[in-house]
Amino acid sequence: MCIGLRDADLVSRIAEGDREAEAEMCRRMAPRIRLYGLRHLRSAPTADDLVQQVLLKVLEALRNARLREPDKLAQFVLGTCRMTVLDLRRSSQRQEELLAMYGGELAPVQPPMPGLDDRQLARCVQALKERERSVVVMTFYDDHTAAETARALETSEANVRVIRHRAVRQLRACMGAAK
Amino acid sequence: MTDLRDRNECSSPIEAAVLMDYWLAALSPSDEDAVEQHLMTCDRCGDRLRDVIALADGLRTLARSGSLQVVVGDQFLNRATRTGLRVREYAPPRGGSIQCTVAADDDLLVARLAVDLTTASRVDLSWCDQEGAERQRMADIPVRADGPDVICQQSITWAKASPTSTMIARLLAVDEKGDERVLGEYTFHHTRTIPGPPE
Repeated sequence: MCIGLRDADLVSRIAEGDREAEAEMCRRMAPRIRLYGLRHLRSAPTADDLVQQVLLKVLEALRNARLREPDKLAQFVLGTCRMTVLDLRRSSQRQEELLAMYGGELAPVQPPMPGLDDRQLARCVQALKERERSVVVMTFYDDHTAAETARALETSEANVRVIRHRAVRQLRACMGAAK
Repeated sequence: MTDLRDRNECSSPIEAAVLMDYWLAALSPSDEDAVEQHLMTCDRCGDRLRDVIALADGLRTLARSGSLQVVVGDQFLNRATRTGLRVREYAPPRGGSIQCTVAADDDLLVARLAVDLTTASRVDLSWCDQEGAERQRMADIPVRADGPDVICQQSITWAKASPTSTMIARLLAVDEKGDERVLGEYTFHHTRTIPGPPE
């Protein structure tokens, strides 16, 4: 059983050929890689591709004992995410052959995205103060930056951020989210 | 950084507002790096980020639905038009009235209220019935002092279901003592053109 193992122990076991350790590493890292992918690629299918590509590279490195500091697995995975996203932006056709070969083995189950009560959210947004509602709508309609929203509302970027933070806190509370 | 964190423990949870900034790409490079280092070891904060992403997605859908009553800017309307939304806009003159309606395929409904805001510090938008009795107050709306107008999006959902009626919008300057001064009054004669329940 590898579930309770530290990252560093997983790294050592994978270098020794332990397939269970490989599976546990993939299970542990895949959701984190996917979140990184969602943030930077803004696409669920592309984020799923990123998971496979990163796991493939990490596994290859670990099997060949190329990670010199085993306790830095997370940093290694993050660095691989960053390099892979850069590569993905350069070329969307990369590594298709490798994915065709190994892709099926590198798709651990992902945590589901939480559902949202749309009507309750509408009530919560309508309950915001006018400035907060304007900032929320202008921000989320099209990923407005704070600078763009600030220009539209004749206020400072810092003020837009403060208003947005306050609105997000209030919305989460209204939606019943735990802090 | 420990690698034994699981869904039940996190010694330094990232605040949801910071996670939202991360999702919106609004953090500095160093703060973004710190957040990503943390997320790569902490599933608890990963779960919180999923909540934040769900909230952001819900807010985007809601913002694009046209169902909110909210003060917006020209930039917002331009983007809406560019993304293919049908924007129905009414701009009655100050002190005047206008006939208005909505069609089934309209996506956004906005009122453009021409006004001089140079002497107002706080501005309220009051919605009144045809007798002038206030029905709703949008307090301390965001305005540009140098702007020629206030743009208020009305709920398209509400407007499509609304019976034929008259509404009066009043822009009010409110001073520190709470005294009010009318900056402009605008009358909307709404005619329902979409079939619905009897009025």
